Amino acid sequence: MIEVLRAGLCDLVMDLGRPGRGTLGVPAGGAADPPALAAANRLVGNDAAAAGLEITLAGPRLLFPLGGVAALTGARFAASRSSGAPVAWNETLVLAVGEVLTLEGVETGCRCWLAVRGGLAVPQVMGSRSTFLPSAFGGQGGRSLRTGDVLHCGAAASEVRLLRAFPPLRGEGGCLRVVAGPQASQFDDAGLTAFFGSPYRVEAASDRRGLRLAGAPASHHRAELTSQGVLAGAVQVPPDAQPIILGWDGPVTGGYPVIAGVIAADVPRLAQLKPGDAIRFVTIEVEAARAQAAVPWTIEELG
Amino acid sequence: MGKYGRGQSHVHLAWRWVSERGLRVATGDATLAYYASLIAMALPDVEDIIAGDDSLLVILRQGARVPPELRSALTEPLADRVRRPNGKRHEIEVEYGGVAGPDLPALAKRAGLSVAAYVDLHAATAYTVAFLGFQPGFPYLRGLPPALQTSRRASPRQRVAPGSVAIGGCYTGIYPAGGPGGWHIIGRTGAALFDPQRDVPALLMPGDQVRFVPA
Repeated sequence: MIEVLRAGLCDLVMDLGRPGRGTLGVPAGGAADPPALAAANRLVGNDAAAAGLEITLAGPRLLFPLGGVAALTGARFAASRSSGAPVAWNETLVLAVGEVLTLEGVETGCRCWLAVRGGLAVPQVMGSRSTFLPSAFGGQGGRSLRTGDVLHCGAAASEVRLLRAFPPLRGEGGCLRVVAGPQASQFDDAGLTAFFGSPYRVEAASDRRGLRLAGAPASHHRAELTSQGVLAGAVQVPPDAQPIILGWDGPVTGGYPVIAGVIAADVPRLAQLKPGDAIRFVTIEVEAARAQAAVPWTIEELG
Repeated sequence: MGKYGRGQSHVHLAWRWVSERGLRVATGDATLAYYASLIAMALPDVEDIIAGDDSLLVILRQGARVPPELRSALTEPLADRVRRPNGKRHEIEVEYGGVAGPDLPALAKRAGLSVAAYVDLHAATAYTVAFLGFQPGFPYLRGLPPALQTSRRASPRQRVAPGSVAIGGCYTGIYPAGGPGGWHIIGRTGAALFDPQRDVPALLMPGDQVRFVPA
């Protein structure tokens, strides 16, 4: 059981999402970095698909009245425990009865994931416990956590082991690998040169639906407004020529030309981009992208 | 930029990659037929299939190659049995105009019709659900008479009432939930377009037939 003593900026219950429902107009959603949530779950003895918290930019203050076992992965936040014990990332944390875990602002990156032993026991909606904010369903009543919320945990499946996780090495810096998009030919030379050759800044009006970018105009010939299927990582360019990378909760169809698509291995890296960050795009071929399989986290006993 | 993949010599559908997981196939007028055909195959490496205006987006599982069965399905003629998919038929009761449909008078005027004639024409037409998008359960209904087609609002509304029946471009549609919206609102229905707790959350599915009935 967890009591929310102070909610963070946007604490969302997330599991691995509800893929396969695009026909209904519902995007896959789920944790922005599924391997990071899965690793946190493994550190507390959960199934990889158990529900945890996705915490963005500024975190919550959480009371564990009965104690518990927790783990944090992803971006480092300023953090403390009422016991005075250190808050290690990527490690099993054993919390005493009545212990308070406090997360403040993020240090680098944007999001972290908190898993608790047993998983967060919110009801499943359309096969998932993930919050879908745009339609207000899933997770904790379809919304982010509020101060005063009480979250219940499921039954733990295995004995407690003290573990440490090691994230896979991923591309560094703000270079995102993309496959040239289905409508790249609708862009003029200046637009293509700008998009593939110059940096873009992440704008404040970014969320799980999409990352809005600002930079050199990715200019294109005015395209017809037809709606076509899209997925997380697709880079759409509206008439203002400023690209938008569609996020995990983005629409399943879009009417703007798609200049590129972030490869699947790099979509989780979008989770750590925050307003003001600079990014660049570099193209690779489809076959090369497919070979960039998700590298699993390694987990070992804490010795 | 943007390669056309042509799998084999007899391929007749062009496809392009949205990312290495997303294969956008130009299915044109046969989009719903291909959709029905591919969904029925239930290929394990296909995570999702999303219909659009004149294309399908086939989303593969990460790392998966184009399954040979999918390649065949996109290169061989459609079987006759899937040429005319059988959708469900729905009658949707609509309160036209007034507070429920604030844009109706202006739209009728632009179309050179009386409000009554505009409503009659909208309600006399049989529509087909082309695809869902924008919001969970939002149907894009094809078949809008040319006289009723109009560009979207110059500035979107900050808030559209749930159940609003709307006109956008060559489509009519229904907003399942509240929120911002850029289409013209001509009426409102009490039908629950989307309920995540239902076994089939969306009331209308691609291929379904819809008629509007004035309340």
